[in-house]
Amino acid sequence: MAVQGRSRDRAKGVLSLSPPDRLSPMVAYPCAFMRFPVTRRSVLERIREADVDERRAAFGDLATAYWRPSYHYLRLHWRLSPETAEDVVQAFFTTAFEKGYVEKYDPAKAKFRTFLRTCLDRFIQNTRQAESAIKRGGEATLLSLDFPGAEHELAAYPALVVDDADRFFHDETIRALFARTVDAMRDAFTREGKPQVFDVFARHDLHPSADATYATVAADLRLTTGQVTNCLHAARRRFRELALASLRDVVATDDEYRAEARELFGVEVSPERSRGV
Amino acid sequence: MTWLSDAVVGRLREVATWPELTSDRYEIRRPVGRGGMGTVYAAYDTVLEREVAIKVSNALVPDDGLEERLRLEARVLARLEHPGIVPVHDAGVLDDGRLYYVMKLVHGETLAARAPALTTEADRLAVFLRIAETVAFAHDSGVVHRDLQPANIMVGRFGEVLVLDWGVARLVDLIESPGIRVGTPGFMAPELQRGDSATAEPAADIFALGALLNWILGDAAVPRRLRAIANKCAQPDPRDRYSNAADLVADLSRYRAGLPVSAHRDTLAERAALWFTKYQTLVFLIAAYLLMRALFAFFQRTP
Repeated sequence: MAVQGRSRDRAKGVLSLSPPDRLSPMVAYPCAFMRFPVTRRSVLERIREADVDERRAAFGDLATAYWRPSYHYLRLHWRLSPETAEDVVQAFFTTAFEKGYVEKYDPAKAKFRTFLRTCLDRFIQNTRQAESAIKRGGEATLLSLDFPGAEHELAAYPALVVDDADRFFHDETIRALFARTVDAMRDAFTREGKPQVFDVFARHDLHPSADATYATVAADLRLTTGQVTNCLHAARRRFRELALASLRDVVATDDEYRAEARELFGVEVSPERSRGV
Repeated sequence: MTWLSDAVVGRLREVATWPELTSDRYEIRRPVGRGGMGTVYAAYDTVLEREVAIKVSNALVPDDGLEERLRLEARVLARLEHPGIVPVHDAGVLDDGRLYYVMKLVHGETLAARAPALTTEADRLAVFLRIAETVAFAHDSGVVHRDLQPANIMVGRFGEVLVLDWGVARLVDLIESPGIRVGTPGFMAPELQRGDSATAEPAADIFALGALLNWILGDAAVPRRLRAIANKCAQPDPRDRYSNAADLVADLSRYRAGLPVSAHRDTLAERAALWFTKYQTLVFLIAAYLLMRALFAFFQRTP
């Protein structure tokens, strides 16, 4: 993700964002993880680390997952201007890091996503705190975020009224997770020398025409129907693995992971065990 | 970063778990239903050139409970060849390890959805009798369903009635049966509520059938004899219920034929009414004959 926001090069960085909106190494290579299941620590567990560098890196990953839903939420639910929403996002994650918001999270009370959105709401409502933080945020470059890109995406929400804030934030979180997953897939298949697998996936599942069938995609890409079938199987499975691994990273507990996976894909998963790939 | 519309997000959620069949015999068309145990897809059998349904386990990880239930369901369905039970054609394991089985694709709606269209007692009883006959067949084959309820009954376009969701059934000839918590509130026998599902007897299904009969009859005025049949099914003590579904079917058949039922002791007036209803044509003929004789005798004596 390119740095396309307003100038942010005037102060020292506090958090480092995984470039460019990428998934963590374990997520980027889920097959290894799937084949040799290990106990993974989620981002939230890493944030509770005593080691400052590890904590900072984990917080960058957390911001990667949630900044875009937060920005859209501020723009559409709170009706903030693009500039203000941009500042609030930066300030919110800085303050959350400095004041240890995430460490105060109690899984027994709410899903982490709901907790984060509630924190954001309180941050906005507490004007004095927000103004102060925004001022400090304005003096420090925190995250290199593609705010113009996020703003451009809002064109897809003509005159949207957010009735259910939690639902909207949830949907945006899933949209961002899937988008990161698709980008990671494209990178992975390109790196593995199998770009056509992603091409088939894009043609059939991401940007399907009204008459897209295995046969039409095969004809378009000069493949056999059997090859299209195999590519789609491989791509969908990779998508599922990456999305679940990414999801596991940004939820707080194993139970929350199971519940989110059930809601997202209607499947039963386990953080400890996995089918061999 | 790639931008994804709501439609694409929805599609990705759907296709991410589509079954990857090793054989190209079946072409997956669309998901048609999702339950806790598995997801059912409409598919096309390219060999026999017909539509089929494929039920795939929801367990992306080795889950002994879910897989055992799906395997059990396939075996139960295969064992029970009956018009009221969906036939199984094939079974196997996907590339990613999930279990699946192939069955007939049923076009129709659940009993819960169809019930409002069943306006007469005769219609409702006809559907219920088909359910009870299917369960009677299962009991006779040594299978207890354990989760009979309106959402697990499918009524087809041509009136066919199918009992679904045999994933929590108990094979009574097995010493060990999954002692999982099964049943649906309102249709669950007291013994299942107490957690005795591992030893569930046909009486548990009888209780559910009674609840189902009461449910399908609704709040409308129901003849006492019919209500008595439902109440006998729904007795708290299994020993006070019908001993199996065949006895229930027999009693219902007697009720429909206007005969006395075992669930209800008729009063003298009720017996007379029953007798009159059953033989009303004969009674009318005899009465007409006697009336004609009387009139004939009367006019003969008149000078």
